Amino acid sequence: MAQYLTRNALDPAQRELQTALRAGAYLGFKQALSLPPQEVVAEIDASGLRGRGGAGFPTGRKWSFIHAKEGQTVYLLCNADESEPGTFKDHYLIERDPHLVLEGVAIGAYAIGAHRAYIYMRGEYASLAETLAAALREAMAADIIGPNCMNSGYDLRITIQLGAGAYICGEETGLIQSLEGRRAYPRVRPPFPAVHGFLQEPTVVNNVETLACAARIMAEGAEAFKDHGTGRSAGTKLISVSGAVERPGVYEVELGYPLMEFLQGEAGGIRGGRGLKAIIPGGTSVPVLTAEEAAPLTIDYESMQSAGTMLGSGGMIVFGDDTSMPQALLRIAEFYAHESCGECTPCREGTGWMAWVLRRLLAGEGRPGDLGLLLRVGDNIEGRTICGLGDASVQPVRSFIRKFRPEFEALLPEPVQAVAWQSHGHGPRTGRFGPPAEEATRSEAVDGPPTAAL
Amino acid sequence: MSGADLTIDGRQIEVEQGVSVIQAADRLGVEIPRFCYHPDLRPEGNCRMCLVEVDGFPKPVVACATPVVDGMVVKTPHTSPVASRAARGVLEFLLVNHPLDCPICDQAGECSLQDFYMHPDYGQHRSHVDPEEKIHKRKRVNLGPRIVLDAERCVMCSRCVRFSEEVSGYAELQFVRRGNHVELTAFEDRVLEDPYAGNLADVCPVGALTSRDFRFKRRVWHLSHTDSVCAGCSTGCNVRIDHFDGHIERVVPRRNPEVNRSWICDEGRLSYQSLTSIPRLTHPREGDRRLLWAEAIALAHETLHSAGAVTGLPLAALASASATNESLWLFRQYVEVAFPQHLLEFRLGREMETVAEREDKLLRRADKHPNTMGALHLGYGRGLGLKGLLDLAEKGELSRLLMLYYPPLVGQEAEETKERIAGLLARVPESVVLTTHELPYLTGAKLLLPVAAWSEEEGTYTNHQGVTQHVGKAISLREAVRPATDILGDLWQVATAARRETAPERLFREIAMSVPAFRGLSYAGLESRAATVYPPEGRMHYGQEGFAGR
Repeated sequence: MAQYLTRNALDPAQRELQTALRAGAYLGFKQALSLPPQEVVAEIDASGLRGRGGAGFPTGRKWSFIHAKEGQTVYLLCNADESEPGTFKDHYLIERDPHLVLEGVAIGAYAIGAHRAYIYMRGEYASLAETLAAALREAMAADIIGPNCMNSGYDLRITIQLGAGAYICGEETGLIQSLEGRRAYPRVRPPFPAVHGFLQEPTVVNNVETLACAARIMAEGAEAFKDHGTGRSAGTKLISVSGAVERPGVYEVELGYPLMEFLQGEAGGIRGGRGLKAIIPGGTSVPVLTAEEAAPLTIDYESMQSAGTMLGSGGMIVFGDDTSMPQALLRIAEFYAHESCGECTPCREGTGWMAWVLRRLLAGEGRPGDLGLLLRVGDNIEGRTICGLGDASVQPVRSFIRKFRPEFEALLPEPVQAVAWQSHGHGPRTGRFGPPAEEATRSEAVDGPPTAAL
Repeated sequence: MSGADLTIDGRQIEVEQGVSVIQAADRLGVEIPRFCYHPDLRPEGNCRMCLVEVDGFPKPVVACATPVVDGMVVKTPHTSPVASRAARGVLEFLLVNHPLDCPICDQAGECSLQDFYMHPDYGQHRSHVDPEEKIHKRKRVNLGPRIVLDAERCVMCSRCVRFSEEVSGYAELQFVRRGNHVELTAFEDRVLEDPYAGNLADVCPVGALTSRDFRFKRRVWHLSHTDSVCAGCSTGCNVRIDHFDGHIERVVPRRNPEVNRSWICDEGRLSYQSLTSIPRLTHPREGDRRLLWAEAIALAHETLHSAGAVTGLPLAALASASATNESLWLFRQYVEVAFPQHLLEFRLGREMETVAEREDKLLRRADKHPNTMGALHLGYGRGLGLKGLLDLAEKGELSRLLMLYYPPLVGQEAEETKERIAGLLARVPESVVLTTHELPYLTGAKLLLPVAAWSEEEGTYTNHQGVTQHVGKAISLREAVRPATDILGDLWQVATAARRETAPERLFREIAMSVPAFRGLSYAGLESRAATVYPPEGRMHYGQEGFAGR
């Protein structure tokens, strides 16, 4: 277990400024202030830090996209919405080391030339917002953050804003809309937030953990950061593990750490001594791994990618061998159906439709072809939506059905019932209004007749 | 900035930078299906219906929000299986919870959803969810005197929301709830106060927002269409009159980026109702005695000439600025030829001063006459005004009055004006009034002649900007009503013993040759203007004849 970001997290007094300062808080910010902003960006770029919110985009490059024109105001937004199911690492960081987060926000803001920063927290974190606000008040009283930060001439105002509890507010343009006081409908890109973001001004949105890493990097150098991790996955990662493990919780691991070692070690093994069935490694939006697939993997971006999944937010959900995968999938699908913002057609209708089909499957009312239907609906969502939530809702459905198909097939009616059902269906699609013959999709062929038309 | 060359479905076009793919396609005449895109609203990209395949892009992109790039190769659902599959997928999603009540839906026949799901290239008309399992939303929601909402039919394209935010500024509509429970609503279900609310039914691509005025009146495929210009005020919004069997069923805006974009105010939209809401003058009438036209023309001539011959006082000729340029032209010519001593006037109130005065930020203007600029161009407005004529009459210095009067289609004639007209008619012994309606303040006229109203005759109006536009004839004349130009032609013939050409296009040619402001214009050119000056980009939903093989 690594001790890079979280080395002070176990000290309850770390929330207080004096303790935090003794532990080295704001040294990174001080170092940053002594450099021109572009050198801060260069340092972060050199560290190889990648976004910890889920997408893994290089942070230094994201910052370098900001080119403010005369008269423009640049904004840094810290995404503390932490809405990805299975993810609760940012909560831990803010709760245990709020000054580290504030320092990261200050460094990010300085690096991109912003004098206003917002920390957007999910509504459910109301008590946590008070912790962070108390830390911010202390830092402001000590003239660390505020007008003329640490006598550097740099002004910074940080505002903590609570959301009202919607998954979509964690999507960066949804977050921006929400912060502007609008309905959190994601925006069509281009233009990207770096050009037209918050209030149509150049904006960077960074995850809490990403900014905390930036604080450490500025204090201790890019090289020290790269001493952790492996290859293109530099540094450490907070993993929030939940599900069928003995010791669920937040752990900091070196990137490149073997997944099984983590599971058996830090997480304490599968609950009740049972076998492992599956792991979702990075929040429900990434494809699930079977136990066999997971066995050789290490916790880093490349290894996860090689297995067709993603490190994501590090929200790891572990399934024991007593789990019903269709049940688990239904729970996930219902989450996405409930949380789809409803702006664009494929996600709005598709997520609800997938949940509806899964619900009837589990209620014993499945129809032949339902699995093919689910996959086809997924294909029609993926890549056709405004934001990534559409794609995110498809990954679990596709991966669960592909990897645990027998469990799903067991829910389907017996063939004799299928014949009975077919007799009142509309039969095969033919004629002018049917889809063209080449409508073969990436998914398996529809394994039964289509469901009845109205 | 330089332009961009791109290829859409194998056809090339050059457009300027900043144009979106859908705009370029519209210019080419390549139809890309869309719900949320509207040429006069900010693109939102939410319906995902306009997904197209672009070479070099990993996945389909929305044509409405993708700016063109030089060398771009675009394939629409007509040629690309990828784009066709995407469109089909979107339609399939839209039909999941759609009530499919086309047989009782007012939008049927001009519904984008219906047009698209029947389209051979990307149509798909199955709804996979059983009716009893569909998500139900509010129906027949009263949004005020203009609009009814059926939330189940809504495709959440947000055109209406954007219209009310960006165009009218009333911002009375918003979506609530999430996922497939998203529903359009007005705040606290209050009724809309927007004086432009009627446009919401026009921008709605489906039957979610329907016009209370038009609901259940007529199936749209039974309607005949006539392009025209609203006569409600001096803005001159381009409209299309939809009529059936001699009745106007509704008036909808036609897009003209220079005049009204795609909009019209509710007053203008409903102004056609005032044509029939008060009794029409149906026959020539002397007091209570109906006359045949031959009698009426003879009597009019006699009335106007005999009195002048006795007294030697001038004839007052008053034509309202709601008359067409052609009527005004002939009116003036007749007066000049037949009455050496005359006072020509069009002003009933302050038309000249208020012609360009805005009543709100969008379209409505204070001058409720559609052709004040035309009247000015044609040499009217140099006399005394109605007030001055009344003063003369009071002094006994007027013996005769010839008046061409149209009551305003929007609002009421000002009380002051009514009193002045009534006063004038009471004091001038011999008066002939050409008008459309039975109006109490005109009963003092010796002779009343029924003329065609707006939508019943052809001609042109010149709006406050000086733009001359063609006004169409949608409705055939009833009873003994005749166009003002015909009546004036007959009077001309009695006065001069020579025939006079009265066809609007002939009169307009005379105007174009004689009046500098109209030089270079041709009547045929004005008639086809909408079709030639504003190509497909200007086609709003109503004009989508090209879609789905209709």
